[in-house]
Amino acid sequence: MGLRSPKAGVALVGAVIAVGLIAGLTSFSLAAGGAEADSALPVVVPQASFPGLAAPSGEPELDGIVQAKPRPGEIVQVLGPFDERFELEGLAFDGTTVRGAVRVTSDVSEVLELQVLAGFYNDQGALLGTNRFVHHLADDGDSHTGSPEEREDFAIEVPAELASHAVSVALGVPVLVNE
Amino acid sequence: MRRPISALAATTLVTALVATGTIGGLAGTAFSASADDAVGKATNVIYMVGDGMGRTHVTAARERFYGADGRLAMEALPSQGYVSTYAVEKLSGQPGTDDFRPNAVTDSASAATAWSSGVKTYNAALGVDAKGAIVPTVMELAKKAGYRTGNVSTAEITDATPAGQMSHALARGCQGPVYSEASCQDTSVTGAAVPTSDTRVTPIADQIARNGTADVILGGGLGRFDAADEEALVAQGYSVLGSIASQKTATKTDLAAATGRKVFGLFNTGNLTIEKAKQENPSSTQAQEPTLPEMTSKAIELLSQKKDQKSDKSDKGFYLQVEGALIDKRSHANDAAQTLEEIKAFDDAVAVAQDFADREGNTLVIVTADHECAGFNIIEKGTFTNAEAGTPPTNIDKGNTANNSEPSRPSNSLDADRSTGIVNGTGSADPGNFGPATFRTPTDPAGVVDGSPEAGLWLSYLSGNHTGADVPIYASGPGSEQLQGTTDNIALFGIVGRALRVVG
Repeated sequence: MGLRSPKAGVALVGAVIAVGLIAGLTSFSLAAGGAEADSALPVVVPQASFPGLAAPSGEPELDGIVQAKPRPGEIVQVLGPFDERFELEGLAFDGTTVRGAVRVTSDVSEVLELQVLAGFYNDQGALLGTNRFVHHLADDGDSHTGSPEEREDFAIEVPAELASHAVSVALGVPVLVNE
Repeated sequence: MRRPISALAATTLVTALVATGTIGGLAGTAFSASADDAVGKATNVIYMVGDGMGRTHVTAARERFYGADGRLAMEALPSQGYVSTYAVEKLSGQPGTDDFRPNAVTDSASAATAWSSGVKTYNAALGVDAKGAIVPTVMELAKKAGYRTGNVSTAEITDATPAGQMSHALARGCQGPVYSEASCQDTSVTGAAVPTSDTRVTPIADQIARNGTADVILGGGLGRFDAADEEALVAQGYSVLGSIASQKTATKTDLAAATGRKVFGLFNTGNLTIEKAKQENPSSTQAQEPTLPEMTSKAIELLSQKKDQKSDKSDKGFYLQVEGALIDKRSHANDAAQTLEEIKAFDDAVAVAQDFADREGNTLVIVTADHECAGFNIIEKGTFTNAEAGTPPTNIDKGNTANNSEPSRPSNSLDADRSTGIVNGTGSADPGNFGPATFRTPTDPAGVVDGSPEAGLWLSYLSGNHTGADVPIYASGPGSEQLQGTTDNIALFGIVGRALRVVG
């Protein structure tokens, strides 16, 4: 994709932020209490990254999508990390689009984030490809402009190149953040 | 397509941070709070947040549980005042700068960042300023200075209020267990997607499990963490209650038996269960979750234990944040019965904290909120709100030009379609009912029940969202006198930081 190395970029960004924060805190301390009093103040430079923690390389996947072998016409649900917090309702698949709704059953003041991942399969139950529905409430930066809503309708299209082969669907929810 | 942030962009952010006074804002906050260096030094600080708890929430709980002439534990604290809570827009400067752009109504993330880091930021931001630059938190500073630290919440521990002390995220929705671009990136702030290894887009659960900011972590949200997080916690010396790898939640029994200097206990895969539900279903699995007072008591016990039990030498002290999160969540839902029970549980936790402070003698206890939620209000028995009316109140003296401005309203009556009975009584089945909820108080005559027109406490809501009203603050202990009057929420960073000697 022609992108610069993420690791090099992170190191550079981290170094610049660290220098900036140290400089900022120094000026802060001087302004606040004088050099003598400031000598004992802690200086914290929050971590710019977490060494040893693998950086994600893409959107979240669910193992169950690969493992599922739905029969023609079936729509099945695969395991995800939040299955006890929602129910899938009104599922329908017409060969080009799978539709339905996620009704959040746990405490809801807002559904901030939601992803529904769909796997599409041929008549042998083999996975052809995936697509996903993404809900992100805070696009405008304000997460409290609407009324609480526990139901989120979704529609996920079969990728164009798979359209004539997809006969079944597996669905799962890898991302759900509700207040 | 995702592109890493350029070195130029990063330099610009940091330069702007310093030049435009983001860090200067920190200095100003602390400076304004440090007029007298001899004032306000504490051994411990317990900072308690009733999420969404406005002034009327406090009054309603008082009248519900202790009567009109009673008093909540928080109301007994000697220093009392108000906190302004406004947020700012994305890319805004700090107050006093040319590019300062306020937003009247905050969310929990922006508010948590304000008191945790001393900067105004945009709604949804955690531990970063409005231009996306990371800012240290008072809990990080306390930890660095040798204090023991704790973070307790009835929400998922990755939720905004607890996360504001121990994570840095462009978007509060980046909670985990996995990264997604929509929930973690915010290119309207950074200009382009930042590398996925950047802390600011690292899922909050991953950050909490690895940065060691809080020694004692108690709350909900087990579902945000995975087996790798458990390994990281154990490697740092945490006792993990229950099991993250098998998603086995901890119980109140586990908590009671917990020992050690670093304890991680999550008691629900999501938010903890509301008190009212546990009280009504005492044999349920959820009833095995500890209450907020129980978690607060245990956190204080763990944080105040001496490092060396054989000597009298004390540790430096501790900094503990406690959140009653479900006050807000049930206020969003306009569920007054549950809201009241959550305020009661939070106030009971305040009593636990203040009892410790009374015994210890040098602990600053601060009790406040991040914002008001839902325009909660107490109306006179037998009256109705505008939401229930066909028109607003009559402008009765409209003929007097000295008293009249714009409106001219002939009548003010109940709209039968919008007000179909008390919502926790005869009107409970109507989803379109704007009627009040009513509750008996201790001084009501025997036989008066909740949901009846005879009950003494009539409650209504303005909306299902946050409001911009100032919130109350109550405090005791060293430095608490600084909290009388009105304080802005970013000044709380300086007051707490100076009490702990981590801010000049």
